[in-house]
Amino acid sequence: MIGVLKSLTATMGTFMRKPVTIQYPTEHRKVPERERAFPILLWDFNIDEPFCTGCHACERACPVECMTVTMRDNPLFAEGKSKRRKIIDEFYIDYGRCMRCNICVEVCNFDAIAMNNTWSGHELSTVDRKELILDLDQLLDLSKRKDLQAWDPAAETRASTEGRPQPPIAQVGATEDAPAAGEPLTVAERSAEEQDSPPTP
Amino acid sequence: MALVLWGLFGVDMNVWLDAFLRLQLIVIVMTVTVMALIYVERKFVGRIQMRLGPMRTGPYGTLQSVADAVKLLTKEDLRPATADFWLFELAPYVTFVPVFMTLLALPFMEDWGVRDLQLGLFYIVAVSGVTVIGYIMAGWASDNKYALLGAVRSAAQLISYEIPLILAVLAVSMVAGSLNLNDIILQQDTIPNALLQPLPFLILLTATLAELSRRPFDIPIGESEVVGGPWVEYSGIRWSIIFALTEYAGLWGMAVLGSLVFLGGWEFPFGTSGFWGDFDFLYQMALVFAKSSFLILTMMLISATFPRLRIDQLMAFCWKILLPFGFLQIVINGIVLMYLDSEVTRDIALFATSGALLVAMAYVTYLATRQPSREARVAAMVAARSIQ
Amino acid sequence: MTNDPDLPAMTYDPELETIDLNINIGPQHPATHGVFRMVLVVDGERVEDLVPHIGYMHRGAEKLSEHMDYRQAIGYQDRTEYLAQFNAELCYVQAVEKLAGLVPPERAEYIRVILAELNRISSHFMFLGAFGTDLGVFGTSFTYAFRERENLLDLFEEVSGDRLMYAYFRPGGVAWDVPHNFVERVKWVCDQALIGAKDLDTLLTDNEIFIARTLNIGKLSIEDAIDFGASGPVLRACGLKFDLRRDEPYSIYDRFDFDIPVGSNGDSYDRYLVRLEEIRQSVRIVRQAIDQMPDGPILPEKLPRALRPAAGEVYMRCENPRGEYGIYLISRGSTQPYRLRIRSSSFCNLAALKHMTVGHYVADAVTILGSIDIVLCEVDR
Ligand code: SF4
Ligand code: SF4
Repeated sequence: MIGVLKSLTATMGTFMRKPVTIQYPTEHRKVPERERAFPILLWDFNIDEPFCTGCHACERACPVECMTVTMRDNPLFAEGKSKRRKIIDEFYIDYGRCMRCNICVEVCNFDAIAMNNTWSGHELSTVDRKELILDLDQLLDLSKRKDLQAWDPAAETRASTEGRPQPPIAQVGATEDAPAAGEPLTVAERSAEEQDSPPTP
Repeated sequence: MALVLWGLFGVDMNVWLDAFLRLQLIVIVMTVTVMALIYVERKFVGRIQMRLGPMRTGPYGTLQSVADAVKLLTKEDLRPATADFWLFELAPYVTFVPVFMTLLALPFMEDWGVRDLQLGLFYIVAVSGVTVIGYIMAGWASDNKYALLGAVRSAAQLISYEIPLILAVLAVSMVAGSLNLNDIILQQDTIPNALLQPLPFLILLTATLAELSRRPFDIPIGESEVVGGPWVEYSGIRWSIIFALTEYAGLWGMAVLGSLVFLGGWEFPFGTSGFWGDFDFLYQMALVFAKSSFLILTMMLISATFPRLRIDQLMAFCWKILLPFGFLQIVINGIVLMYLDSEVTRDIALFATSGALLVAMAYVTYLATRQPSREARVAAMVAARSIQ
Repeated sequence: MTNDPDLPAMTYDPELETIDLNINIGPQHPATHGVFRMVLVVDGERVEDLVPHIGYMHRGAEKLSEHMDYRQAIGYQDRTEYLAQFNAELCYVQAVEKLAGLVPPERAEYIRVILAELNRISSHFMFLGAFGTDLGVFGTSFTYAFRERENLLDLFEEVSGDRLMYAYFRPGGVAWDVPHNFVERVKWVCDQALIGAKDLDTLLTDNEIFIARTLNIGKLSIEDAIDFGASGPVLRACGLKFDLRRDEPYSIYDRFDFDIPVGSNGDSYDRYLVRLEEIRQSVRIVRQAIDQMPDGPILPEKLPRALRPAAGEVYMRCENPRGEYGIYLISRGSTQPYRLRIRSSSFCNLAALKHMTVGHYVADAVTILGSIDIVLCEVDR
């Protein structure tokens, strides 16, 4: 009998506490900067072209073989505006197959691909699974709109390895003043320094 | 509506028309109450579980039941090909009609029920026992092993728990000396029966949960074992009759019955003659509403807290604990009522014996469920723990 | 009457004119925790025979891994053991490290142990919630448990970037460093986990109905448990103090001070108690680890771009929330494993299901299945 009453105190106790759920579609938790939704391609604002050179490294490394990459000669290279000899021609990622393992991001030598770390990467439901095969324009769209949250795993790892103070990362699920979506990409900012010695494909 | 109010205030009218109008009123009130109860249960259990509960439809989700009703009514009404047509189609109604019939005998305010029956309590108990036939019909007709298992379980459970329920109301009617609900209520003007007869009150609460197949007694429909039991093949409107109407109308009816018989209905604590003259019925309604709400919330709290019993444990609890103590209560009531004439000593004796029986029952339950080896195990584990 | 060899033979007594009922539970059933199917032969409510059917969730994770390099297979570990992903990853990356002779830096070891222990907590919370629901609690235990699991998943998301499929451990360390507020977050999560454990403790442990439903249900003796190859809480509930973290310390578990809770009866109640206590012990380990965690690199200095371990074979076993999780790897010197075999703890624990269930009631079959705490993906691989 005592245990039964004890159980009732537990439920009555939680009745008094504040609910922990939120109203999802109208209310969103803030996703962390290192959120990995689905891979997208990045846009080089300095030259106005994608970072991606179509080198196939990610395509080969993808465990589920959900990417299709083709390359072409870069017209801007001929004009001398760009240092990329080759540029991406067509790029397809089948989000229906992708298992969001982050390997494509790790193998890319040009930092041309990143994981979508906004809510738009999660709310992708469609009625037809063909719509989940994204082409180059769709993959570049988010980066062109500068909607990604800033996060640079390489810099953070480097910092901790070399014992430097870590770059500030917005605290998750909290403050308003945290760098939110809409800030310019650090990846794009870093592009200048990377441009110095791009490995040729 | 005006006609109904005439009826309320006792203006003469054709007795059939009067009955018909009262029936209509009950149907409307029942539907609204059922919808409200579904919403309340979802919200209440949601808060217990630290969830928000329904929030989308209407402000704070108040229209959730309406949305559910629309969904259920427009859903396809499936019937398995091998089901027995007539039994399958009729089972929901056989389950629901007895529940509705119990509502007809309840006096919701002074002298106002659909019918004021001299044997009201007897009628309610008798009619509500029919529900089990619907369960068995559904379980048999569905041609599904889960349904069959659930039907057999429900037959065992509902019939068994009928008896403690009868004993509980019998004990009260002995005290009141009547089976008429109005008389029983009027007799509680100073002390409600729950105080005089705490043990039957507890038995009634327990048996009600079992009769309605609510947790922790939802063995017939236990969804982690027999996946809905007799109702596993039902969908759409037929399922909504079972689920919404039967379950929640039954809950409402039993809670009102409990508040009338044990908590003094509209009589306790202020007496029938209220403060508003002709509009006393509003105050009486509010009182019954408050008391039955209390009972309903208690039952919801209980059903949100406990795990489900197993069928043999459920039967053992009924036959070995509730039933003997129910009988003892009746015997003792008989002796007390026979030999004590003065009202005060009689009340004291009733309270003392019933309270003593309640304590005894709690102690017997404690002894029956006690597991010394378990306590030792938990204690050993706590002792071995270096952090608390 | 059926002649299907997969189904148990029905008994027929001509004198009594009774026939046993075959009840099929699963593959789609609220109590089977995934797509598990068991056929019960019941006499009234009593179970006379039980035939489990597995394989509905077979995705060939072992075979798939043979066509991937060592890094690509990490993601498949998450999907094999989807309630204790960090633990499964830990076992796998340690097997690869053993094979390739990599030594992860200190900080990476600590990060891994902290996350693996937190994942054990989250997995046990999942068990507690689901177990209550199996017993018929109206979702209350489930939401209590999920409230805490949610905190943990939030933390995992902040660290690894995903809520379920972390793919965060790497052979030689972890993919990237933890966020700068990691220490405070872990401390907070630990406090919350203890609150959640206490809530569930109050709700269930002393509840007479809960006790009646679980005590002496599905008893397993130590000898039988060993014969079936049971491990983890199922084995410890029988009273055998066997925990790989203590008996065969891997990673840095020998540096921490913790108790190994054991039961004495081997029934469902003991399995529940052991898991509830393990939550507290894991919190204890995490608190020690977070205090000792050093700064430094999270990957070895020289890490080859593609791992090419020398030919050889290795078996690595770890104490996962569900028991001993083993990875057996054979390398032929290429970038891909020649053979990867997973020793699944749930599979071995599930083997004892029939032994435990026969003679109990139908409702107890659900309790026992819940108390084993299987992950079907891990059973079927
Ligand atoms: S690895 Fe990078 S540069 Fe190469 S194809 Fe993929 S995204 Fe483009
Ligand atoms: S995240 Fe993994 S699965 Fe998805 S595209 Fe990149 S490599 Fe392929």
